[in-house]
Amino acid sequence: MPDEHDQDQEPELELTSALVPFFVITNGRALPSEQQYERTALVTALGGTPAAARTLSPEAQAIVDLVAHGFLSVAEVAGHTHLPLGIVRILLAQLEESGLVLVRKPVPRAEPTDRELLGDVLAGLKSKFGA
Amino acid sequence: MSRDALAWCLVALAAIAVAAIAVLVVRNRALGRKKRQAEDSLTTQLNAAKSQLLQTQAELTKYQKEFDGTIREAEEASEESTKAVLKGSASFLQSLAAEQMTVLEQIQRKYGGDAVLGDLLEVTHANAQMQRKAQGIAVLCGAPVGRRSRPASVYDVVRSAQSQIRNFRRVEIRQQTGVALKASAVTPVALAVAELLDNAASFSQQDAPIDVTFQRIQNNLCIMIDDGGVGMNDEEKQRASELLSGDVVPRLSQLGNQPKFGFPLIGLLARQYGFRVDVTGDSRYGGVRAVVLLPEGLWTEEQPSPVEQEPVSIARVPESGTQSRPRTVNGLPKRASRQTPVAVASVDQEEQPPRTTEDSGRSSGRSLGALGALQRGTLSGRNLDSSPTEGSQDA
Repeated sequence: MPDEHDQDQEPELELTSALVPFFVITNGRALPSEQQYERTALVTALGGTPAAARTLSPEAQAIVDLVAHGFLSVAEVAGHTHLPLGIVRILLAQLEESGLVLVRKPVPRAEPTDRELLGDVLAGLKSKFGA
Repeated sequence: MSRDALAWCLVALAAIAVAAIAVLVVRNRALGRKKRQAEDSLTTQLNAAKSQLLQTQAELTKYQKEFDGTIREAEEASEESTKAVLKGSASFLQSLAAEQMTVLEQIQRKYGGDAVLGDLLEVTHANAQMQRKAQGIAVLCGAPVGRRSRPASVYDVVRSAQSQIRNFRRVEIRQQTGVALKASAVTPVALAVAELLDNAASFSQQDAPIDVTFQRIQNNLCIMIDDGGVGMNDEEKQRASELLSGDVVPRLSQLGNQPKFGFPLIGLLARQYGFRVDVTGDSRYGGVRAVVLLPEGLWTEEQPSPVEQEPVSIARVPESGTQSRPRTVNGLPKRASRQTPVAVASVDQEEQPPRTTEDSGRSSGRSLGALGALQRGTLSGRNLDSSPTEGSQDA
């Protein structure tokens, strides 16, 4: 059997890459845009078990389990599942399409600076030091 | 008078006749003797010629055999040397492709959030196919198949096989099983299944599905691959069965210009690792049903590896939190650190490192408790009111 077969051969090549590559986990789906699933977008599972849930891959199922009882950000989901962010985005797109998760976009960031104030400061500096 | 004369005449005639007969008899005897002698010598010559002929024939056969033997030896020698050359180069490509798979995986993790990931996935797919080809040729030439150190679920082994063919999207794995393949069987079975999937994809229409299902029959685990192709006739099935059993091993030179090494490769792997492959069945779509029959020695009831289990166990943390803790209007759990007594938190700290589900939940409470203790200490040091100062969480 394999063992005795190995003995008279050179050392066997050790395969260190993941057994299942990412492109199979995502089933070759295209990468959604970054804006569609921002890192801070919140994900939660929608109740009920539609037919689609039965044929989920283990990775997609793990995401559904992860967000089953609350909201997690996209970045957190990636952290917990040890999957690259992009892969999580693809899986989320698939899950959202089959109605298994809800993704809530983050509130757009407020303008952090007051342009008027900065303008005034600039004017003040100019008048003080000349430019 | 005339009567006498006549009588004498008759007597003379009789005498002449007798003499003539005597002479004839003597001559005849001599001729017979001569003829016998001639016949004897001719027979001897003929026999000599015959034996010579036989000898020559025997020699000819001998030389012919020798000739055949030499040709066979030469063919075997050339087969061996071709195999050696191919094995060397294919093994090199194989290890390079394997290395590249690892590197690509690292790059995919590194740039996982960038748009370049989409292209990286394509590149990985191309590389996975290249790896399979190199692996197949190397194995066919006598190289080891490459090993993995961990057992894997049969579902993942099929997905690994799926990754190695061009039209992998057509493959649909219909179910998951609680069965894991032993580490030593992971690569050979994945390679054999990949060849079967590739066959199924090549001999059916571009958009026809390829279904994979699992079934346990007695002590065997069956991986069944159904395609919607054209099927095979009896002669093709017979030929396929011979190749798949590993009994018939074709020469490399017999594989053709577009080498068909799928079945010989599967046959070789099946023989080496002790599983069986059958393609004589009909699929539910009217094409071929390929069955990989894995005997008990190659698989076990699945025991999820701790590494794969880890993320899921972390995943359960919010779940347990939501059951016990009150929630804000937004559905987020409220923090509960203030209720944790400081003393308990510090005792807790010395217990065990945070690993399991409960522990990681406890550790978050613990660190919050420690922070609370720090804050209280500061407040009491300043002799201030140590009541909770955090704002309302009920918003």
